[in-house]
Amino acid sequence: MRKFLAVVKREYVQRVRTKFFVIATILGPLLMAGFTIVPALMFSIKAGGPTRLAIVDQTGKMYERVAKELASGKKPNKPQVGTDPPVGNNNPKEQAEQAGKLFQRNFIVEEVHLDNRPLDQIRGQLDTRVQKKELDGYIVLPPNLLKDEQPEFRARNAADLFTQNHVEDSISRAVRAQRLVDANIDEKAVEKMSQPVDLKTTGAGGKESKGEASFFFVFGIGLLIYMSVLLYGQFVLGAVIEEKETRIAEILFSSMRSFPLMMGKLIGVSLVALTQLGIWAAAFVAFSLWAAGGSSISMPHIPPMLFLYFTLYFLMGYFIYATVYAVVGSMVTTTQEGGQLALPIVLLLVAGFYLSFNIISSPNSSLAFWASMFPFFAPITMLVRIVTETPPMWQILLSLGIGVATIVGLVWVASRIYRVGMLMYGKKATIPEVWRWIRQS
Amino acid sequence: MEDTKPTLVLDHVSKSFGEFAAVSDLSLQVRPGRVFGLIGPNGAGKTTTIRMIVNITIPDSGRIELFGQQMNTALQDRIGYLPEERGLYKRMKVGEQLRFFAELKDLRGKEAEARIDSWLERLQLTAWKDKRTKELSKGMQQKVQFITSVIHNPDLIILDEPFSGLDPVNVELMKETILEQKAAGKTIILSTHQMEIAEKLCDDVCMINKSHKVLDGKLREIRRSFSRNAVALQFEGGDGLLNDPALVANITQNGEEFEVLLVPGKNPQELLRHLVDAGAAVTKFELVEPSLHDIFIEKVREVA
Repeated sequence: MRKFLAVVKREYVQRVRTKFFVIATILGPLLMAGFTIVPALMFSIKAGGPTRLAIVDQTGKMYERVAKELASGKKPNKPQVGTDPPVGNNNPKEQAEQAGKLFQRNFIVEEVHLDNRPLDQIRGQLDTRVQKKELDGYIVLPPNLLKDEQPEFRARNAADLFTQNHVEDSISRAVRAQRLVDANIDEKAVEKMSQPVDLKTTGAGGKESKGEASFFFVFGIGLLIYMSVLLYGQFVLGAVIEEKETRIAEILFSSMRSFPLMMGKLIGVSLVALTQLGIWAAAFVAFSLWAAGGSSISMPHIPPMLFLYFTLYFLMGYFIYATVYAVVGSMVTTTQEGGQLALPIVLLLVAGFYLSFNIISSPNSSLAFWASMFPFFAPITMLVRIVTETPPMWQILLSLGIGVATIVGLVWVASRIYRVGMLMYGKKATIPEVWRWIRQS
Repeated sequence: MEDTKPTLVLDHVSKSFGEFAAVSDLSLQVRPGRVFGLIGPNGAGKTTTIRMIVNITIPDSGRIELFGQQMNTALQDRIGYLPEERGLYKRMKVGEQLRFFAELKDLRGKEAEARIDSWLERLQLTAWKDKRTKELSKGMQQKVQFITSVIHNPDLIILDEPFSGLDPVNVELMKETILEQKAAGKTIILSTHQMEIAEKLCDDVCMINKSHKVLDGKLREIRRSFSRNAVALQFEGGDGLLNDPALVANITQNGEEFEVLLVPGKNPQELLRHLVDAGAAVTKFELVEPSLHDIFIEKVREVA
């Protein structure tokens, strides 16, 4: 036990102390922040200041409304739904709208009076102004706009989807409002009457369902496992291969049994991973609190029990795949080789993602049961089941038990292969050989 | 001496890797407080034998007994092992490194620290304690590695080719250290293919070749039994004195020096008297014991 702790300590201290670890720990959140904040910043920076538009109103009564709508930026029939993040949205138009929300719309609108001039002459003048960059674009509202004649938008940058969308929406709203007024219908009343319903989902027992947020968390956890395995699996691999390359293994094996050695390495490296993730999580929470400026943050509410499950299954998922790297590391002689060999197994985790879509719709099917018992899928599939329709406790405990047994079993296999493989330096092991090593020694 | 219980007993031990027999039916006894030489050419099976002794691999057949017990993990702490394939953590500092290996042998705290310091001093490495291992020369790393094998004050010290890669000064230092350990009552197993070194340090030897034991026993007795009644000598005056077929069977000349093989049954004393009576000034007269190297070659030929 004390030797095991000595190994854990060495693996941990040696790694945490490196410049690489310190730099990665600091840069990690900065990069993450970079990826989220920089795009937002880029949207908010509108080159050349506000968008200058001219409106040629041939209807004679729409200018005010359109100008007002352009300046406001409200969506028809789409009330703001809290601060929910955009959800699985693959429609590019809607995505553009979402992104468009981010940049400050700032329009300077001027009215161009017809004064009995022909439209073509006015167009000519406006085109010139657009070319001279005095204007960014202009809108022509035709006389029969309120029937169904198409308005026209000419802009220097016709590909600017955000502006184009906004202009279209604004004119639509203005036209709709004017049509209502023309039909003697109270605009306010209509707005009130067109409020969409907000579906409140509850579990069968009447308890409020954990809802969408929990699903995001499940996938978040899955993603976290996947990323930490890809990130730190290499570390585990390196730790196992290190002594092979430096030939220290021989001294180690002459001092202790290979199982506590392998376990010590796995735990030591994993503590490094957890330290780093912990620091990042703390940084994230601190940043969120700071960003919220002291006001209460709208974190999705998660029951403590669920939080415990998330933690347990994250750890289980991480360790299962980390031990895969340990097994692979015990077989190969270089890290590159190991990475290639481990990747197909790590992709099992992706299979778990796919299975979970099926499980969401039928969380009590036998497929769901077996998928949540299979240790390589369980971290995702079992969490999905817990979130949708919590299975009996014995099933949860069984899947955790299978997971732990798998981890211990894999470490045992890794330590066996490692010990025998060490005696045959520089020789790449074939699968039948490895199998023989596991049984002999 | 003969009656003390052996530290280590190998009893008909065999180990093979697939088709390849690394050690075949090896039996030997290592007695306490002595330097035991395991000698033989590269690939003879020395390292595999040692790995079985330190419990890295388990023999296919046969029995290994250490300190009167069947080999087990608990006994590993009483062995110090310097493997032939050296390896240290390159990025660890020397002090840390030694502390870690001490912990692996269940030695920690102040006592570990004190021993580390005294060993670093003994091997003239004190100034390097806080240096990273990769900054050390190969010879220095080797000395550090030697410390890792003795830091926990083991009763049995196993050194596999301890002198390879050392300069002459450090070879001497290492020899001294080994003899100190012997004087402290430790049992030492020295594995080497360098016969001259084994000759100087070992009390007992076991020669192995191609996985088989060729010969073992006390070094002195072995050499005596292989004695060929030869004399190395230098003298001035009296040319042709050696040409006496009644006394001398064979002469080889190396520069000033002659090596003379006497006729069986003749005594070196007779040759000396013969020379002195003839008026030669003898400047060197030495009985030549066969070197381990010669014995080894002879034995291997005999077996083949």
